[in-house]
Order: sequence, then C-alpha cells, then structure tokens
Amino acid sequence: MRECRRLINAPRYLILLTLGAVLTFVIFATMTNKGQPQRLPVGVVDLDGSYLSRRICHELDATSGVKVHAVYNNHMEARRAMQRGEIYAFYEIPAGTYNNVLQFKAPHFVLYNNAAYLLAGTLCYKQLATMGMLAAGAVQREVLRKKGFDEEQIMGLIQPVAFETRNISNPWINYGIYLMTTLIPAVMAFIALMHTGYAIATERRQKSVKRWMQKANGNALYALLGKMIPYTAWYTLLAIIANLIMFGFMGFPMMGSWLLMVVSTILLIFAAQCAGAFISSCINDPSLSMSVCTLYSAMSFSLSGFSYPIESMPPLFQSFCWLYPIRHYFLNYREIAIYGNGFGHCWVNFAALLSFGLLLLIGAFMLNWQTAKKTAQ
Amino acid sequence: MNQLIIDLYDIWEVLSAEVRRVFSDSTVLLIFFIAPLLYPLIFCCMYRTENVQDLPVAVVDEAVCDASKRFIHKLDATPEITVTYKCCNMSEAEELLKANKIHAIFYVPKDFSQRIATLRTAHIGVFADMSSFYYYKAALLGSNAVLIDEMHTIELQRYGMEGLTGEAARVQMQPIVNEEITAFNPTGGYGSFFLPALLVLVIHQTLFLGICLLGGETRENRRALQIIPARLRIRSIHRVTLGRSLCYILIYTPICVISMWFIPRWFQLPQLGNLYEIMIFLLPFLLAVIFFAMTMGNIFVRQKLSPMLCFAFFSLVLFFLTGMVWPQASMPKFWLWFSYIFPSTPGVQGFIKVSSMGASMADVSHEYLTLWIQAGIYFITATFSLLLIKKFKFYNAR
Repeated sequence: MRECRRLINAPRYLILLTLGAVLTFVIFATMTNKGQPQRLPVGVVDLDGSYLSRRICHELDATSGVKVHAVYNNHMEARRAMQRGEIYAFYEIPAGTYNNVLQFKAPHFVLYNNAAYLLAGTLCYKQLATMGMLAAGAVQREVLRKKGFDEEQIMGLIQPVAFETRNISNPWINYGIYLMTTLIPAVMAFIALMHTGYAIATERRQKSVKRWMQKANGNALYALLGKMIPYTAWYTLLAIIANLIMFGFMGFPMMGSWLLMVVSTILLIFAAQCAGAFISSCINDPSLSMSVCTLYSAMSFSLSGFSYPIESMPPLFQSFCWLYPIRHYFLNYREIAIYGNGFGHCWVNFAALLSFGLLLLIGAFMLNWQTAKKTAQ
Repeated sequence: MNQLIIDLYDIWEVLSAEVRRVFSDSTVLLIFFIAPLLYPLIFCCMYRTENVQDLPVAVVDEAVCDASKRFIHKLDATPEITVTYKCCNMSEAEELLKANKIHAIFYVPKDFSQRIATLRTAHIGVFADMSSFYYYKAALLGSNAVLIDEMHTIELQRYGMEGLTGEAARVQMQPIVNEEITAFNPTGGYGSFFLPALLVLVIHQTLFLGICLLGGETRENRRALQIIPARLRIRSIHRVTLGRSLCYILIYTPICVISMWFIPRWFQLPQLGNLYEIMIFLLPFLLAVIFFAMTMGNIFVRQKLSPMLCFAFFSLVLFFLTGMVWPQASMPKFWLWFSYIFPSTPGVQGFIKVSSMGASMADVSHEYLTLWIQAGIYFITATFSLLLIKKFKFYNAR
C-alpha cells in the first residue's frame, strides 16, 4: 500500500518506463509491419551488355524483394558500393555471356552477397540466386522446346525433384513474428525487474528500510510482496495488452489456449520481479545492486534463445539460460502459440517460472537477517 | 599565450578531479572497466558456434525406394542436418515435432518412386519449425544442397535416356553456372554478424551509463558546482566539459583497443580494417557519446539510480535502430531520422564497414561526418546545460 502511495506521489518513473515500453512496441511494430524488408538495393556488374544481361537486370528489378540500385562497369565499383553499404549484394555477368549461351559453353555468373548484414544479405542472396536458377532454367527450356519435348516432359527433365515447403505457423516468413512475440514480453520483464530493484534500492538509499519493515510488521516477505504487487499488476496489464495486440489485432499465429498464455505472462513478470527483488535485497549498496540487475538482465535477450538457438551454444551457456525467466516464457510461447500444446506439455516451464518465487523467499530471509544485524549493532 | 596556459591548467584540474571521482566509485568502476571487457568475452564465447549444426529432423519415407533412400542418406550427411528419427507416418512425426525433439520433417510421398520412374517431377514435403529463424535456415540450407545434388543426378540419368551424354548433357543441365561468394562473413554465421555491432553498443552503453551515474551522483549530493573550479567564469565553462571528456577518452582508449581490436582477433571475427583506421574512426564516436551522455545527464538525471532504469528498453531499441537487423534501406523514413539522434547508429554502421568489411575512411565519410557533427552539437548542448545549472542553481528539484 505504501508503495502505491509513493507511486502516485512520484509517477515520473512509472510514466517514463511505460512510455519507453510503448515506444519499443511502436518501433518494432511499425518497422516490421511488412513482414520482410522489401526493395533492398542490389547491384549488377554487366560486363556483357547484351539482350540477355539487360533482361536479367529488368527481371531482378521487377521482384518485390530487391531493386537494382545501379549497374556498375566493373567489379571494383560494385565492391566499393557494397563496402559503403549502398548495396547488399551484386551479380556479376561476365563478358560474352550471351554468345557463350548460344554456343553451349556454360558461362559463369558470380553472385556476391554481404553477410555482415545477415537479414538483408540473406534475403538478397535468396532473390538473386532464384533469378540465376530461373535464367538457367529458361535457357534449358528453350533448348528442350526446340528439340520437340512437351511441357510436362520438360519440367520432368529440368526439375526432377522439387520441395513443397510448409512453414509451420509462420507461412509468410514474417520477421516481425520472430522478433516481437518474445522481445516485447522480454522488455516488459526487464523493465519490471529493474523497477522492482529500483524500488528496493531507493528504500536503502533513503535509509528508510526500518520504516518499511515496520509497515509490514517486521515480516520481510510481506514487505517485499507489498512492494512488488503494484508493479506486477501494472506491467502484467501492459504485457497482456501487448500480447492482445500482437495475437489479436496484428494477427500473429496463436494455436493454443489464451488462458495459458495469460498465465504464462503473469508468471513471467512475477519471476522477473522475484529475480530483481532477490538481487537488490542481497546486495547492500543500492547503486551496485542496480548495476548487477542491469548486467544480469542485459543477457536475457540472448539467453532466451529466440534469435540464436540455445542448443547450438556451448554447454556452459545452456545451463545459464535456466536462470532467466524469459527463457521459460519463450519455451512456453513455442509450446502454446506455435504448436497449440496443452498444459501437459509445458508444465515444466510453468513450474520453473514459479520456482523463481524461491528467490523471493531467500531475498526476504537476507533482508530479515540484515535488519536483525543492524538492530543488534 | 598566457590565456592558453590558463585554459590548459583549468582543463587539467577538471580532468584530475574527474579521474579521482571515477576511481572512488565502485559502481562506475564496474561499469567502466569490468562491463566493457566482460560482455564481449561472454558473448563471443556464446556465439562461437556461429551456425546451427546437426539440426535434428525426422523423415517419413512412404516411398521406400532407391532414390528416396539415397536422398535421406545425403540429408544425414550434410553438416546442418542429422536424421534422428525415421517415422512410419506423419502423425508420429508431428508428435515428435510437438514434443520439441525435432525441428523439421521431410516427407517422401508414396508416388515418389512412380513419378521418378515415369520421368515426371517428384515432390518431397518439407515441414519446417519456424519458432526460430535458425532452425528454418539450417533446414533450408542443408536440404537445398541435397536437392540440387539429387536433381543433377537424376537429370543426368534422364538426359542419358534421351541420348544426351557427357559434356553435352552437362551443358544442357547447367547452361549458366552460378557461383556464389559470401563476403565479409564467410560462414554466414550469427556471431560474425551480431558481435561487431554488439562491441560498439557495449562501449556506447557503458560509457553513457557511467557518465550519467557520475552526473546523477553530484546532482543528488548537491555538489554539482564543485566540479567547476571556483574561479572559472561563465564564459570559460566549456573547459569543464572538455576536461571531463578528456578523462573519459583516456579511460576508454585502451578499452576500445582491447575490445574492438584484440577481441575480434582472438575470436576470429571478420576483421579487414587496421587498428589505426579503427581508432581514427572511433575518436569522434567516443566524443559524440561522451557529450551526448553529458547533455542527457545534465538535463534529465537528478538521481544516481534513475539512468539505470531507462537502460532496459534503451539498449534494445538502439540495437534495432542501428539498421543491423532491419536494413536501413527499408526502414520507415521517420525512424531513420530518429536513429540519427544517437551516436550508436553511425558508430555501429561505420565500425562494421571499417572493421568487418575493410572499407577505407573515404567510404565511411558519411558516418564519420555525422559523428563529428553529433559531437559538435552535443558539445554545445552539454556546455549550455551546465551553464543553466550554474545559473539557476537547480540541482535537485525533487
């Protein structure tokens, strides 16, 4: 209750952090609303200057994924443009290509792509490689037609085996779905953690731990819980609204039950707060405890495993990731939203999130012990 | 001449006071010295593997023929994919996918062998787990390599049946040969892409946080004016800003050398630039960050702890705004302009170009100039905000 009053008296940080969370959401939502980056600039080094090479240029430009930024005269120019970041990939069409094609001499096309920008480079590569395959396929088809094969025979010859790809629960390969579903709750949890830590550190800084304890009749656990609950309520509300917007309004795939997702969100915020409360009740120095909070949570985005899978990290880090609530949330999200699994599949993650409550108990114990020591002195 | 000596002396005085302040605060020490060295090490170790290898997948082979078996063997032989389960039907494989034991299913339908035999296009179903971009990428890379190889094998057989053999068949199969060269990150790995940007961001964030903390502390203790030597007149207040920044530059130069030059070397990240150019590029970056942090510290920070609170969403948003993840070319214009408020945007872009991509200083002149302009603007704002504090003496209006 005391914390509520304090919050209402000084709403600056709450407003600031809420604004920050909203800003984060808006930035991510507006940037990724197209799903994949469109019209990425690529280049073509056209040393041939023939009908064929011009046509490849035009067809590249006509795809939705890339646009031909410029046609370069030589390799060096294109390379410099790539180093300046003007283009993400370029195609080099050697001199005499058209002639060689006509004479069955198999000219070499070279595709350079810049993988230092992973997403942009990969997408450009995909587009250009497809174009290369199509060009080769078109030549093949022309030749076979002249030889008198019919369409089905030609397809059988050109493409004897093909993939039919089904991308489960993200058929558009929408990058926003990867990013936002985990990042936004992660940011909420991060903020909740820091704010809880901050609330406790402020008590220490203002040397009012004693009064705070008295309010809770000397029970450190109640004191901590009382401090946490206003934040839990507020940030859970924010996170649930964010989830509603994402899975409802923005139409991100959601296979499983809403109830489980909501429970998972509440537990995520709670677990993050427990971690924050634990750190700041164990460390006496307020600014040091805040730095430890920061250092701890700065790794949470990586160790949630949503961008780079945990299984591919060295074993040491695989065990670390259990220390992060967001990891369990991410696993939950995968089970519930992507596979539509029930509670039977993901109870382990719920249990793990709940077990962060233990940290709270330890934190309360530490706090009790510290106040006892102080009164003894 | 005399004036210059006085100037320098004032700067020296502020500098030495600042150094003392930095070294007497354990939190700032942690942020300035431990964090910028520890984080790169941790993250470099974390992403050492670069790519997903041996992704567990399941195969449902309903055709059971020569070609399908060969396909599965080749799939298993790729570095990206390991066939861990061979299922009898799709529902069995789906259960495995749901239980998170596998991340992709390859389904060879019954008519596969028939279609191969009748010289038509045969299909293979791929069901990819999209919960992580990297599962998808590994499954796609591995299977595509096998697909192309298998296509060529069968194609050659079929051309043989049509009486086309040897070189003629090969040219007919590949009338245009596509070569692919992946530049600046040969393995296409996550680490080589993510880490260089992270290195810059760590420097940016720790420096920013540390300066804000120091500023907040003086404000909170109502000592804001103690950092200004008593006899300094208002007109020469820029010497305080200069002196303080000199102190941070001195601290961060060796840190930058270690984390931006030696750490990428040790962990074999792509590094084509040379130390000299990298340091020349980083100088305006450091200055811009320092003055930016001072401005923010003077205007917003009144308590020591508050900057840490905003740190949370800040780092993530900054990383996203740098245009490493979402390319600048397809960023909405508004956010592109917004991102130029922060020194991290040209800093990261420029560093990647100079260090990972081996661009010359002329190639990054856009970023370099932006950084100098930022440094200039924030220097003015930092000095003016300090002036305001001195004039109105509002240290701690709580």
